[in-house]
Amino acid sequence: MFFKLNPTTGHPLYLQLMQQIRHAAETGALQDGEQLPGIRTLAEELVVSPNTVAKAYSELEHEGILELRQGSGAFLTLKRRTRSLTDHVQVARRRLRDLIEQLREHGLLDEEIRRAFEAELLYPAEIVRK
Amino acid sequence: MTNAPVILTRDLTKSYGTLMAVHGLNLSVEPNRITAFLGQNGAGKSTTIKMLLGMIRPTCGEGTVLGKRIANAEENREMRRKVAYVAENKPLYSYMTVEQTVRFASSFYSDWRADVATKLLSEYKLPHKRKVKSLSKGMRTKLALLLAFARRPDLLILDEPSEGLDPVGVEHLLQTLVAQSAEGVSVFFSSHQIAEVERVADHVCILDNGRLRVDASLDRLLQSYRRIDLSFRFPPPEQEFRMAGVQKIRTSGNALSIFASMNAEAVVERAHDLNVVSVEVTPVGLRDIFLETVKEN
Amino acid sequence: MLWYKGWLETRSRFLTCLIVLTGFCAVFIHYTQGYLRPEWREDFHRLMLVAHQYLVIIWIISVVLLGMGGLVREKANGSSSLTLSLPVSRAHLLGVRVAIGVLEAITLGVVPWVAIFLVSSAGGMPIQFQQVRFYVLLLVSGGLVYFAMAVLVSSLVEGEYTAPAVAFGLVFLATNLFDLWLRDFNLWRFVSGDFYLDRNSYLFAGTFPWKGSIAWLAVATVMLIASVKVLHEREF
Repeated sequence: MFFKLNPTTGHPLYLQLMQQIRHAAETGALQDGEQLPGIRTLAEELVVSPNTVAKAYSELEHEGILELRQGSGAFLTLKRRTRSLTDHVQVARRRLRDLIEQLREHGLLDEEIRRAFEAELLYPAEIVRK
Repeated sequence: MTNAPVILTRDLTKSYGTLMAVHGLNLSVEPNRITAFLGQNGAGKSTTIKMLLGMIRPTCGEGTVLGKRIANAEENREMRRKVAYVAENKPLYSYMTVEQTVRFASSFYSDWRADVATKLLSEYKLPHKRKVKSLSKGMRTKLALLLAFARRPDLLILDEPSEGLDPVGVEHLLQTLVAQSAEGVSVFFSSHQIAEVERVADHVCILDNGRLRVDASLDRLLQSYRRIDLSFRFPPPEQEFRMAGVQKIRTSGNALSIFASMNAEAVVERAHDLNVVSVEVTPVGLRDIFLETVKEN
Repeated sequence: MLWYKGWLETRSRFLTCLIVLTGFCAVFIHYTQGYLRPEWREDFHRLMLVAHQYLVIIWIISVVLLGMGGLVREKANGSSSLTLSLPVSRAHLLGVRVAIGVLEAITLGVVPWVAIFLVSSAGGMPIQFQQVRFYVLLLVSGGLVYFAMAVLVSSLVEGEYTAPAVAFGLVFLATNLFDLWLRDFNLWRFVSGDFYLDRNSYLFAGTFPWKGSIAWLAVATVMLIASVKVLHEREF
């Protein structure tokens, strides 16, 4: 399992890591019950602060995707909530795929589509996040 | 392990005549984190660090490191037992050999780890019997850093650590900082290399002309700072957007480009109230946050 | 390992001066006493005095050079940030440097005289241990003031060549000024034996001037304490 974090995008590294772990879980690259690298190991491998990895793991545990076992490490758990979340994501992605195709047919460039998404996402998002 | 700040200053000031090298600095560096101290050359980073270590006397204000008062010679000395520091110029004794240097440094600290020293000596390929004056700049930098990395202090203070290192050396440096942090060492390093800070820092302090302008976790900075580009059908009313968090507004024809440290949603909302034609909100990287912060003056 | 560092820093200077001093004294005595006969006592004792004068000059130059260095010099070299980050006080740092310098200075006073003693004895000359001891004690007890002064100068003056220049300048100035106005307190005359030598026999008569000796050592101590204070106040 290879992670690629990009520090210059302005997107917090722990969020990037979380996304990539979630993505891996959704696509099956990481199986249920599989162990993720230890915080220190992953931090040294990616050359990021251990706190970044710790935060990502901790948030994912909160979301129910990871189980942090004292002394053993972090394990992927696709609990029922997560499983249904994965289904939601599958559905959402199908809808997005259709929408994006439509927008492309209307003549929008991919960059324009992305910017539009980001702008709209920002609008009420911050409140939900906190 | 205590949760008290490893570095705490109150109104720390250093002036040379009329020049204020450090102005009313209120720094609070938390333990178990990697804190980056960013600033241009001459911003006051080295002066601050030297005050913390008792090499320079503050003009006024006070500070503690690991709970010990920096202005008290006795307490400062006590604190230095548990602090590893590498100055900007990577100081070494030119007449000592690599081996003698390592032996010398190790004799002062109970937290010295001989196994790590040996490992680093071979990793850095430092010739044991060669005198420091015959070493290349890169080797001298590595040796100076080794003297700190072969220890397990409570606090590691580095002043521009990557200066003098090639890209491989920089990578190694960052890996070591991460490893030290994982072992519970609090790391405080000053730099003007944004790329390094972006990768490993948990917390960022930006010093500009002796004053602390930004003091926040890197994640929070990246999540609050936004660039908002707005297009209107008419020349946009700049003053409508002078709200809390807005740092800079640039106008060009019917377009506004706003740089905000927070409250981006409020800006977007105001824009919608004013019938904005297009809104584009983009995250801002640390480089731009830094440049906008120091350019303000 | 501050002692080891101090030794590494001073050993070339020290060993060079030791070889020069000892070599000079041995050779000088060996050759000049070749012109003497053992029964020409006063001439031999006068030779001792002459040798001592030369020895004192070279010794003063040596200890002034040994007194150079320290934190201020390190600042110019760029290593002061390392030394000052060590968990030792500035007083301790200076103390070790001074202790090494004092031991080296004493050695530089004793060893050449031992050489003189050996060479003279080998030549059958009437050298007296008591006289040698007198010379050595005068040199070391008074002479450490020169060393202390050099340490103080090195704590005040930056510059690899400026500091010794100032120190030597002070030695020269002080010696001449004292000679003009305070002859009785001229350290040079104390150290070189001028005050206590009998002009007929060229021997030291009477007891060793312990009071004067202690007074000069006190002066040296005051200068060293001043050096500590100077270093304490200084910013690096």
